[in-house]
Amino acid sequence: MAANQRSISVSEFFAKNRHLLGFDNPRKALLTTVKEAVDNSLDACEEAGIAPEIWVSISQTEPDRYQVSIQDNGPGILKKQIPLIFGKLLYGSKFHRLRMSRGQQGIGISAAGMYGMLTTGKPVKIVSKLSIRKPAHYYELQIDTKTNNPQILNNRGDGLDIPAGEKGRAIMEKKKIAWEAFYPVPEVETSTSDDEQAESETEAREAPAPVEVRSGTRVTLEIEAKYQRGRGSVDEYLEMTAIANPHVTLHYTDPEGTLHTYSRSTDQLPPEAKEIKPHPYGVELGRLVTMLKELKEGTITQFLTSSFSRVSPAVARRICETADVSTRSSVKKISRDEADKIYKAIQQTKIKAPSTDCIAPIGEELLLKGLHQVVPGEFYVAATRPPSVYRGNPFQIECALAYGGQNAAQKVSIELLERLIEETDARTLRQFLMSTFDGLGSDSADKIMKAGEFGSRQSPSKLKQAEIERLHDSMKNVNVSDGQAMQVLRYANRVPLQFKMRDCAITQTVMKMNWRSYGLSQSRGNLPSGPVRIMVHVASVWVPFTSESKEAIAHYDEIQKEIRLGLQTVGRKLGMFLRRRQQVKKEGERRNVFVRYLGEVAQAVSDLNGCAKEEIYNHLTRVAKRVTKEADTKLDDRGNKISPEDYGDNVLIINDDPEGDLTEQLDKTTPQKKLF
Amino acid sequence: MAKKKAKKPTPAQQARKAKLTAKDKKTLNALVGMADGVFKQASRGRAPYLEVPSRSLSNVKYSPTKKIIEMGSSKNKRELFNLSQARTYMQTLLVGRGCKELIEQGKTTSIRGLYYLLKHTIEGTREETFNDQGDCDPVIEDVEVTLNALREELHVYASNRGAMVGNIQLIDSGDEIDCSRMGSGGYAIPSIVEEEVMQFVKCDADFILHVEKDTVWRRFNEDKFWKEHNCILTHGNGQPPRGVRRLLSRMHNELGLPIYCLLDNDPWGYYIYSVIKQGSINLAYESRRMAIPGAKFIGLRSRDYELCELNPSVTIKLSDNDIKRANQIAKYPWFEKKKRWQAEIKKMLTNGFKLEVEALISKDISYVTQEYVPERLAQGSFLD
Repeated sequence: MAANQRSISVSEFFAKNRHLLGFDNPRKALLTTVKEAVDNSLDACEEAGIAPEIWVSISQTEPDRYQVSIQDNGPGILKKQIPLIFGKLLYGSKFHRLRMSRGQQGIGISAAGMYGMLTTGKPVKIVSKLSIRKPAHYYELQIDTKTNNPQILNNRGDGLDIPAGEKGRAIMEKKKIAWEAFYPVPEVETSTSDDEQAESETEAREAPAPVEVRSGTRVTLEIEAKYQRGRGSVDEYLEMTAIANPHVTLHYTDPEGTLHTYSRSTDQLPPEAKEIKPHPYGVELGRLVTMLKELKEGTITQFLTSSFSRVSPAVARRICETADVSTRSSVKKISRDEADKIYKAIQQTKIKAPSTDCIAPIGEELLLKGLHQVVPGEFYVAATRPPSVYRGNPFQIECALAYGGQNAAQKVSIELLERLIEETDARTLRQFLMSTFDGLGSDSADKIMKAGEFGSRQSPSKLKQAEIERLHDSMKNVNVSDGQAMQVLRYANRVPLQFKMRDCAITQTVMKMNWRSYGLSQSRGNLPSGPVRIMVHVASVWVPFTSESKEAIAHYDEIQKEIRLGLQTVGRKLGMFLRRRQQVKKEGERRNVFVRYLGEVAQAVSDLNGCAKEEIYNHLTRVAKRVTKEADTKLDDRGNKISPEDYGDNVLIINDDPEGDLTEQLDKTTPQKKLF
Repeated sequence: MAKKKAKKPTPAQQARKAKLTAKDKKTLNALVGMADGVFKQASRGRAPYLEVPSRSLSNVKYSPTKKIIEMGSSKNKRELFNLSQARTYMQTLLVGRGCKELIEQGKTTSIRGLYYLLKHTIEGTREETFNDQGDCDPVIEDVEVTLNALREELHVYASNRGAMVGNIQLIDSGDEIDCSRMGSGGYAIPSIVEEEVMQFVKCDADFILHVEKDTVWRRFNEDKFWKEHNCILTHGNGQPPRGVRRLLSRMHNELGLPIYCLLDNDPWGYYIYSVIKQGSINLAYESRRMAIPGAKFIGLRSRDYELCELNPSVTIKLSDNDIKRANQIAKYPWFEKKKRWQAEIKKMLTNGFKLEVEALISKDISYVTQEYVPERLAQGSFLD
């Protein structure tokens, strides 16, 4: 027995427990791979102060096998670091510091490499370029799962250096190393496949000179995967990423070869987040002991003031007094018991909340821009909460909301629907509708089925062409916005969270809120219904996830409270918008009623006393205008006049007047696009 | 002021223009005045409204001296620019317009006819000016009270309901009618019985017996009750229409005939008596012309069940609605102070059932004409 016991390498552990990292099934593996690579790229670009431009390309190599390439225009990676970053689990720059960033542990991309190796046996290919003049490096890597060390495969373990400029491009082409050497020229649809790229190069001489990508990293993996659109897909992830990162341009080539481009709506990079020391409240006893051991010399006061934020000598003295430890005792002499006392003393001492400038929120204006760029709608509102603290970790909540717009189910083209039906593994049509289209609830699915006269247990894979057309028709015609459930877009440090929706503190908070008072219908303990998309962003130096796969945010009271406050802010404004819209509609109806009867009244009066019909009609119309105008100014609860400006800041309204044609009967004002 | 721009009448219209009586001129002036008011308000930029006297229980008063129900002075504003009133406002003016047309052409029509005259689709919409006659009737009454004009003055009448036989001769629209020679159907009482239309020629009758409905009236007519007792026999087919009430009132006042009512023993019967005697709440403004404070209630009385030894199977159980209505009636000011009536209503409630006049047929087919009524007439046992 004892002979069988030996240490387990991290790599071995994760090879056997890949679901912990988000590689539970082929579909999710594809997403996780893309996600880890894109997250790393974005972090790298932002740290280097470069406006991120990301190329994502997925292509099928064999059934169930896909090649995934992700390239950025970041700073590139030093040659000797490349193998460690991509070929060693738990290696990274982000784990040991307290600073807001997308990745945290440094597991992601190397785990993807390992997953690829395990499922296809193909190595990870990396191209990295540090600057326009220096050579690029090309590596093919594998992880030794036993020792958790990288193995370089190409060029006898040395990797390949590719010179800069034309010569290098020729080599790359010869060796079939993919690399986006130029930024796509705007307006011209650029394709990413290799042979066409050469064409674009020759064309480039006449066209405005293409800008060469100065630096960056490209990682290519081949993994066992399944590509499927809909909820929890790569497409969804990239769309959500584009919403929360309005400073990013994304070029995405899907397995069908279609290029999707999400252009940046701002050049302004998020402010660089500062690195902070841990706050005493957030440190556990074990960590405190380790920190004490790490510090070789000095007094306990020195230790406290230098290792933690917000601990002044006065605060340190108070902690020591409470713990009954001398302020000048040496760190080395602190016993385990004393450490425990200090730990308890920290909790009892009042310490200022950590500084919050280590968090870089997206900002209300950019939230609106991002949401408007990607999500169609009529009303947008955003709110950024002031930073707050949980367990000594600063965090900040942002909420944004988009109301209106068509459901995905109504926008889908017949070709896309055919492909979706081919791809799906849903057993029934109803399941297919609900799992493929966001915000499509069971009620709406049933309505669509009923309208198309489909049986409740019909399988989507067996649909004939005519039936698909019928389905498409009924999807277009059925009003799904009634039963449509609110869609919640969750983000942690700008990274979309796509799974474990029910476990997440964000979803839980949204469901616990009473949305009825904001004009939405909601059954108890459920998501409200209506054409609403709500986006919640949790930014923190250390986002508490429920598990390592980083899919749901843990339930901390402080975080839930802030989310609730943020949701209430956007909810109130939505309520205002909906009430106003209702009001406008009512006013419109009101005017309409009067206008309808004016003609009759004028005729009767003219018949009775012989006055001219036009004259009395004009008089009446004038009065009608005045009367309904008066009715427009409504008073709020306190008796103040409610004016349109009352929405406050950070609201974007696309069409304020749904019944524009009615008001036009009286005064020919056209609805305007308003931007407050 | 409105410009009186003379609208050029078409030849057909001119030909149809009838000679106007003094009453017609007065009504026309009132109609034009209503339209002038609208014009005045609108031209000054004010939201036009009409003042319609309120026709609800809260706006009627019982006058103990005159012993009739009179309408109070409270008025409701009917505004054009009020969402819930705009439609009725428009309808009120339409009815006014229709009446003007009728008066100018010297024709009369039924309220149903007026409804059809005014019903059309509003231009540019799918909405009808009036959805059904129920939409139109209250508006006609509103116009009556607003203009303080009677229905016949607006050249509108209700359908004929009710019949009369007896020792009376009269002239109706120029035709002489002998009501003692009307066969089994009797003389159908028209809806307009004003002096201009109907004149009394000769009357030998001693009193009027008014019964609730046709079936009972026929019993009396077949038994020639009116000949034997020298009276006039009328019915109003349930709640008597205005024509019947006005005729009764005229005969009572002009010919000095006492009136006795034979109605069912139920809240409905009580209220019919109340309407004949004091006038109705809805048409309180007509009470002066129609109410007959001297009318007497012969029966059926609650005590008649025991007095006439009726079979229990002819009783009808009081419904919840009946009980509610009986209590309401008991509280009307014109019943409130009458002890005998309070006792009567209370007795019905303790009985727990109601009786129809037809119930007396269970004794003998002619019991009601040969015993019941003559006995009570002889004894003078009435409720007042």
